[in-house]
Amino acid sequence: MIPAEFNYEVADSVDHALSLLAGYGPEAKLLAGGHSLIPMMKLRFARPSALVDIGRIAALSYVEQDDGHIRIGAGTRHHDVHHSPLIEAGCPLLSFTAGLIGDPQVRHKGTIGGSVAHGDPASDLPTVLLALDAEFVLTGSGGATRVVPASDFFKGFFETAIGPEEILTEIRVPKLGASSGWSYLKFSRRAQDWAIVGVAAIVERSNGGIGSARVALTNMGATPLRASSVEQALAGAERDAIPAAAAMAPEGTSPTSDTNAGANYRRHLADVLVGRAVEEALGGP
Amino acid sequence: MTTLSRTVGAPVNRVEGKAKVTGEARYAAEFPLTRLAYGWVVQATIARGRVLSVEEEAGMRMPGVLAVITHGNAPRLQVVDDGELLVLQDEQVHYRGQTVALVVASTLEQARAAADALRVSYAAEPHDVLLSADHPRLYAPDHVNPNYPTDTLTGDVEAGMARAEVTVDETYSTPAEHNNPMEPHSSTAQWDGDRLTVYDSNQGATRVHQQLAQVFGLDRSTVRVLSEHVGGGFGSKGSARPQTVLAAMAARMLDRPVRVTLSRQQQFSMVGYRTPTIQRVRLGADRSGRLAALDHEVFEQTSTLYEFAEQTALFSRVMYATPNLRTRHRLVALDVPTPRWMRAPGEAPGSFALESAMDELAEACAVDPIELRVRNDAAVEPEGGRPFSSRNLVACLSEGASRFGWADRDPRPATRRDGRWLIGTGVAASTYPARSAPSTASVSAEANGAFVVRVTAADIGTGARTALTQVAADELGVPLERVDVRIGDSDYGPAMIAGGSMGMASWSWAVVKACRQLRADIDEHGGVPDGGLVARADTADDIAAQANLARHGFGAQFAEVRVDVDTGEIRVPRLLGVFAVGRIINAKTARSQLIGGMTWGLSMALFEESVMDAEFGDYLNHDLAGYHVAANADVQGIDVSWLDEHDDQLNPLGVKGIGEIGIVGTAAAIANAVYHATGHRQRHLPIRPDRVLSP
Repeated sequence: MIPAEFNYEVADSVDHALSLLAGYGPEAKLLAGGHSLIPMMKLRFARPSALVDIGRIAALSYVEQDDGHIRIGAGTRHHDVHHSPLIEAGCPLLSFTAGLIGDPQVRHKGTIGGSVAHGDPASDLPTVLLALDAEFVLTGSGGATRVVPASDFFKGFFETAIGPEEILTEIRVPKLGASSGWSYLKFSRRAQDWAIVGVAAIVERSNGGIGSARVALTNMGATPLRASSVEQALAGAERDAIPAAAAMAPEGTSPTSDTNAGANYRRHLADVLVGRAVEEALGGP
Repeated sequence: MTTLSRTVGAPVNRVEGKAKVTGEARYAAEFPLTRLAYGWVVQATIARGRVLSVEEEAGMRMPGVLAVITHGNAPRLQVVDDGELLVLQDEQVHYRGQTVALVVASTLEQARAAADALRVSYAAEPHDVLLSADHPRLYAPDHVNPNYPTDTLTGDVEAGMARAEVTVDETYSTPAEHNNPMEPHSSTAQWDGDRLTVYDSNQGATRVHQQLAQVFGLDRSTVRVLSEHVGGGFGSKGSARPQTVLAAMAARMLDRPVRVTLSRQQQFSMVGYRTPTIQRVRLGADRSGRLAALDHEVFEQTSTLYEFAEQTALFSRVMYATPNLRTRHRLVALDVPTPRWMRAPGEAPGSFALESAMDELAEACAVDPIELRVRNDAAVEPEGGRPFSSRNLVACLSEGASRFGWADRDPRPATRRDGRWLIGTGVAASTYPARSAPSTASVSAEANGAFVVRVTAADIGTGARTALTQVAADELGVPLERVDVRIGDSDYGPAMIAGGSMGMASWSWAVVKACRQLRADIDEHGGVPDGGLVARADTADDIAAQANLARHGFGAQFAEVRVDVDTGEIRVPRLLGVFAVGRIINAKTARSQLIGGMTWGLSMALFEESVMDAEFGDYLNHDLAGYHVAANADVQGIDVSWLDEHDDQLNPLGVKGIGEIGIVGTAAAIANAVYHATGHRQRHLPIRPDRVLSP
């Protein structure tokens, strides 16, 4: 429970953090809230040579909006995402889910950018952001930025599109419209634990039926996953198509077995929870 | 002296409550000593083999390190039965996690860092860590814990089964489970010449003091063990554990006090756990459910260091009348840590199997499960035929049925639904032995009017100190405030541990006897003389003179569950326990203890499971993130009550002991309720959601 030795630097700006990263090389890690990285370091699953602390860069904590998007600074705490009136109005799925993470202490320290950059397939926010078709702004040396859509961002188990000398600085989320219903269901055996399986669903309602649906899965593979077969089956469908569509949820997934649940049970849960989430997103008949 | 209103039975607050919540109460790891050094245990990373070398010199060069103790330089210990105490005596590795070195340093952090860096090389051998019912090395131990026969047979089970009109023949299993008291195991040892003083977290200072004297070859009078406050034990502190010997060994080598505290992870290998069990139960009955035969066969594990044979089938020797009764225990010594006492050893897993099987029999006979138990109630102890000192199982069942609302129960499974939740109810019986063990106590009348009771009792969070204060106050006829009960010091004389639900029955007897003697002495003196008076008592002769009776507490457990039809998630909105456990000394702490026991039972039913990693021979979920003990969010309604039971064949107060009966039967009641809700039997614990869905 004691981490291996590491250097520690506090960055006072994104530029400063980038120069520190460049100086330490690829074995350095960024530290934001530290609620995923520090436990891994204590268990020595992670042994970074240096931590560059970007958790004190005030300029990374903001919630703003433009016409179609909400823009969230990567350093914004889960607590602030959960309580932001802008996010509540424009993307209630995101504010709701931020309130499910850990406990109040965790939510006051952990950041949305940290959760995304950590790339843990058992985390809730990456799944929700994948379902929302969010975009991630990466800032590199000299302040150059590139924008990566969520669908291209999660590359593997704890692996993302962020380059060794890049920092995730902003999350852009398209606003949900009045015809959008949403749900996030998180199944765990005990309070405050990681999801055994989680499901995010967004349904565009159309004449009482489903216009289109976006469905994403937590902890059903090495990354958060879109349930594409389910989405295709639901496009333009009526409510009674939900059970058959949900049954396709396990397609393309590769869940693991652990002490909480076996892979077969996870596949079963994905089916059950997708059905429930889509029903909830569609709303009452 | 005037006689005041009695306090025994009253809901008295804990006398040390304020000291505990303000932090004034000191636990074993909290005693400040000058020149205190800290030891950190280095554990084997193989499950079987030999230590080839330890790089002691490199370890000694780490900052702050005072000693690296290994089998190469450790002093020789006296051979004792418990091989787990013979630490660092040879190079053999008997299980993954066994002590292979102790690093001692000036600070805890330095000790831990050096222990972490210490290089140990091994010659590993293939290990065998998995229990099975057909393991080729299964054997019949000489006896089962603590000294019951391994096998028993009354009548002819096969003939009874052959004659039976209805039979049940099923195999049940329970996993390895770890005790996990809140306070870690910790020992601080200090030598003064040949006198050894140890601040220790244990369930009984007498036993630890005896073991330390044995292992170091000391006269008992030179060893003192102090354990004033203890933060739980659940069996894992019932006798000395390796850290106590290590602390004393290191303190002697360094000639300064040494503290060894185990981490949560270390407690998953070094201090005991409940063996996994595989249990085959066969029941034969006539159509009305009357038992013609009961056969309970148990398979379980021990280590290669010390034989511990859990008395799992003992439950079946006590519960139901049958002409043909057989119980058997088979053991295999694996390359695993030594299993030990944990939360009603024997009865807890044994009751899960038999009380589940009884529910299956009730269904097969179409008899209500309560009525089935009433029909099979035993007039004498089924194995051996001794009369009971008291047995009020039927009264517990009927009182429970009335409080729980059992009368309207529809026995058909899988027929009650509230949205996606299936609802079911279940019942199970419980029992636990009501024994007393020899203890001593003294009580002194001080010139200032106070009374001081000294007894080597242990209050492991149960409220024992408070209950003994009530007992002494009543016997002396004085208010509670005039009685000072001092416990947890081996210098007070030998006494029973807080274990086997025997603590209060044993200590209260000695305290009552000493108080009565003191009152007689005071009367004889015509008052308390200026120098005060002391009376001592020893109950050894009284206990030896007891009639040969079957002494047990009994209880009835009821559960209501809700099972999500799609996910298999289980909620337990209601648990009810009704117990016949003799006299209750303190209504408040007793209620807490019984609720705690039932919470253990819920935890056993749904959550607790130590998962063996067969490749490495280690319990892989060895922390409280991976090993879930039921927490507030898991527990909904728990209701506890007890019958007003008077049994004058136990001990002066008629105490049966309540430490363990709360867990007995709870898991079966929940499993039976899950069956009633879903129609799928749950014969393997814990009842995980995936098991609910895949019958």
